Amino acid sequence: MKKPVTLNKGKRVGSTLPKRDATVIFSRRAALMSFVGAGVLGTILFRMGQLQATNLISQEYTNAADDNRFDTRIIAPPRGIIYDRFGVVLAQTSKDYQVAVVQNDAENLEEVVGRVAQILGLDSEWARRAVIRARGGSRYEPQPLKDGLTWEEFNAINVRLPELRGIVAQSADVRAYPYDVVYGHPIGYVQKPTQRDIDRALEDGAQGESRAMYLRNPHVRVGKAGLEASMETDLHGIPGYRKVIVNARGVEQGEDESERHEPVRGAGLVLTLDHDLQRIAMQNFGEQSGSAVVMDIHTGDLLVMASAPGFDPNLFVNGISQTNFAAYNEDEKKPLYHKTVTGVYAPGSTFKMMVGIAAKQAGVEDNWSVSCNGGFAYGGRVFHCWRAGGHGRVNLHDAIKHSCDVYFYQAALRAGPEKIAAVARAFGLGQHFNVNVPNIRDGLIPDPTWWQENRHEQWTGGLTVNYGIGQGAMGITPLQLAVMAARLGNNGHAVVPRLVREGPNISDPPQAPRMEGIEAEFLARVRDGMHGVCNEPGGTATRAGALDLVRHPETDAAVPAGPETRGWQPIQIAGKTGTAQVRALGANRGRHYSTIEWRYRDNALFCCFGPWHEPRYACAVVVEHGGAGSAVAGPIAREIMRATLMRDPSRRTAATLAQLEANLARNA
Amino acid sequence: MTTLSLATSPNTLFDRFAKLNWGIITILIALAFIGVLMHFSVSSGAWTDMPLKHGIRFGVLLVVMILSAMFVDTRFWLAIAYPLYAIALLLLVGVEVAGATRMGATRWLELGPISLQPSELMKVGIVLALARYYHQLDPRKTGTVLWVIPPFLMIVAPVALVMHQPDLGTSLMILFAGICVMFLGGLLWRIIAAGAIVAIGGAVFAYFGVLHEYQRQRVDVFLGITQDPLGAGYHVLQSKIAIGSAGLFGRGWMQGTQSQLDFLPEKHTDFIFTMIVEEFGLLGGALVLFLFGALLAFTMQVAYKARSLFGKLAAGGIAATLACYVFINTAMVIGLVPVVGIPLPMISFGGTAMVTLMAGYAIVLSVDLHRDQHGARGWLW
Repeated sequence: MKKPVTLNKGKRVGSTLPKRDATVIFSRRAALMSFVGAGVLGTILFRMGQLQATNLISQEYTNAADDNRFDTRIIAPPRGIIYDRFGVVLAQTSKDYQVAVVQNDAENLEEVVGRVAQILGLDSEWARRAVIRARGGSRYEPQPLKDGLTWEEFNAINVRLPELRGIVAQSADVRAYPYDVVYGHPIGYVQKPTQRDIDRALEDGAQGESRAMYLRNPHVRVGKAGLEASMETDLHGIPGYRKVIVNARGVEQGEDESERHEPVRGAGLVLTLDHDLQRIAMQNFGEQSGSAVVMDIHTGDLLVMASAPGFDPNLFVNGISQTNFAAYNEDEKKPLYHKTVTGVYAPGSTFKMMVGIAAKQAGVEDNWSVSCNGGFAYGGRVFHCWRAGGHGRVNLHDAIKHSCDVYFYQAALRAGPEKIAAVARAFGLGQHFNVNVPNIRDGLIPDPTWWQENRHEQWTGGLTVNYGIGQGAMGITPLQLAVMAARLGNNGHAVVPRLVREGPNISDPPQAPRMEGIEAEFLARVRDGMHGVCNEPGGTATRAGALDLVRHPETDAAVPAGPETRGWQPIQIAGKTGTAQVRALGANRGRHYSTIEWRYRDNALFCCFGPWHEPRYACAVVVEHGGAGSAVAGPIAREIMRATLMRDPSRRTAATLAQLEANLARNA
Repeated sequence: MTTLSLATSPNTLFDRFAKLNWGIITILIALAFIGVLMHFSVSSGAWTDMPLKHGIRFGVLLVVMILSAMFVDTRFWLAIAYPLYAIALLLLVGVEVAGATRMGATRWLELGPISLQPSELMKVGIVLALARYYHQLDPRKTGTVLWVIPPFLMIVAPVALVMHQPDLGTSLMILFAGICVMFLGGLLWRIIAAGAIVAIGGAVFAYFGVLHEYQRQRVDVFLGITQDPLGAGYHVLQSKIAIGSAGLFGRGWMQGTQSQLDFLPEKHTDFIFTMIVEEFGLLGGALVLFLFGALLAFTMQVAYKARSLFGKLAAGGIAATLACYVFINTAMVIGLVPVVGIPLPMISFGGTAMVTLMAGYAIVLSVDLHRDQHGARGWLW
């Protein structure tokens, strides 16, 4: 039957043990445990309150939370635009269209990249590589697949975006050089800052850290060559920044618009270059290597500053490929080399005017003449004239016209090396001209003092003889050659070249002063000789001088000669050829010239000014290893001068920066 | 053959339903509702799939819990206490032998499509088994050292097995629940004092001998031996930032910056309490703590009112298990104890803790509904 069993009715075992009531014990202990539990809950609540009270006083947790979620993102400023003298844009910031992938959003990376490849007409090999590249980057940030898309390609991606999960089409600011190879040297290019830039920034204690952080921003580019490098501070602009909300992986989730600071565009530059002439100059070099300069002989404006072969600065902006860089770097014509200011060449016969002027200053009478029989014996050896048969009796005019070596051997001896060096320097040879581009070389005009100090030898008469024909240790840049021609053409005014017309810290050049100790009448005789070079029968550069241009009787403009222009006055130039030895070639010169290795051939030079009736422009052309100055450099100079005279850019109204920037603001 | 008096148990279905402990049920519903709210926020305002899953899971378990409370009376639990414990222990051994390894820990047994965590079963099993042990033991014997040995072994065996998986959190919970039942069952203070000394020694031994490198790191960071804001201490640091910056009323639902921007890790599981405080403030956190406090109080009341010692100890043990969950979890997120992976029951996402707790409350509600039954010593013995 039923027999209720209660807990209190214990069995009689171990009666010696003390009697204990389980229910009572349970109740006591449960109460104790509840009490402890309430204490724990209270402690937790207290601790939470304590955390908040701490924060109320120090704000430490609020600040930490803000540090977590807010991030300052830099907005790279648009770079200043570089214009030619008439407002043609030579370097600008333009939109680059890119397609990228956010791996975290892509369900199947291979598949979606494959679809993109299909749309862009790229092969599966490209897709395979793109996937590998993307996998190397962050899963949450867009990884670029391809940039430099055309507008059509960009649109084709855009319309299909809904079916391409994880793909983003974006545009970014990129520096663009619309005329690529034409301005590679003077303007240069921008690139991502290198580790060295960052390290250098860090050396500055106060601002270094923030500067380095700025440079690490993937959108920042800094000038690395040409004006882009030397005018970096002005062109760069002031970076803006925005306060963004990020998640734990650093992916942007939103922006605090009230904290946005817009960037300020960099200052623009107006150059002295004339785009049309610069392009013509580059084209006329063809495959040849060298440099051409056209300069306004009154203002010093450089209308042409060409260095050939050119290179494409656009290739450098997003990092140049190894292949492309190697192709440039290993080319013996050195396309990366800015020959206009860093190429140093012996002037050869173009130096002869300096010798003539120096001789005059040393007291040589105006009608002094020498008899040239093809050689000149001095110091136990014979110095040859370039013309084996000799020129007969020649005065200054004929010596320049025929480029007679014997005349100038003797003139040099009469003038002495000190006088020649002084005149050459006065005309700008071996002088430093700051045309705002980096790596300008000064060349060298040696004299006995220099020789003693640097070569530790006594200057000899033989060196002076060689000096007479522009050979020896001396070296000049194409820019200096143009300055020399300009100072001859403007009747001895010390004009200084410039490349930047307008920009920050650029002021208008002062009126060029008349050079002292240079006799105007004698200069006219030298110029007359140079006129003979180009225009008289027997002159060494009559081909270069044949411009086929005439003066319009009413407008004064230079127009091509034709049947209808019969009787109009021809337009002429005056110049001087130069053929400078790179190596002594001995018997090979002449007969077997084409068999000589390119790099041992003579450098061809030509300098000139014009128009003859009212000189305005000077031009210098150097063709590396081109051979004879008259045959190679002269024709290039002719084409450039012809175009220059027809355009006559110095008499046209140049654009002003204020007006160009106003246009820009209006279009934006 | 029954030795229980059924005279005072409610008889009709309606009676039973009406006499369920609605206080406890209401709190459980409220907590689950808070869970749904928070998962909606975790999903950035989407119903799929966490908030919906959480709600559905709770709804199903609620029905099962209520039905089982109505139809399964305490005698059944008493009857299966030992078999359940034995099965759980066997399964734990099974895990040791043939368990599935996930994320570096071997905790699961895969039986066809079902994957089972025997350690969870043991959380209820240990409470029931010890409750039965003390229920049947002569109260005078509870005071002797000899009779402490069986429950001690009953606790140590599963704790050792679970710790070896390794799952420190769960093994600590089994240990804690077991000790609580022993304590409530009438363990002598002398033995408790001796045990405490052994425990401290054991803790030192465990730190140097048993703990895994990642666990030791957590302890080190907690004790301030190492500073490691991006490593083991990162979770707690971010959690403290969220709680400290929340203010009295919080940043607002779905507005918590630390949670919504993923600075707070594990926000849908172990750190969900932090998210509650960040979005609903100190007051929101206090409300949740109050709900848990009330749930514990109601559960202790059930234990107090139960006639049988088995009922008392079962309810008390389940209250201890719940307290263990809540205290360790909330203390962990505010940096009072080292990080051990213990979720906040009813609110954290995940079925395991919810199933365990709801099973526990099926027992508590049953004890409550049948509180006037006297425990039967020897029933099914």
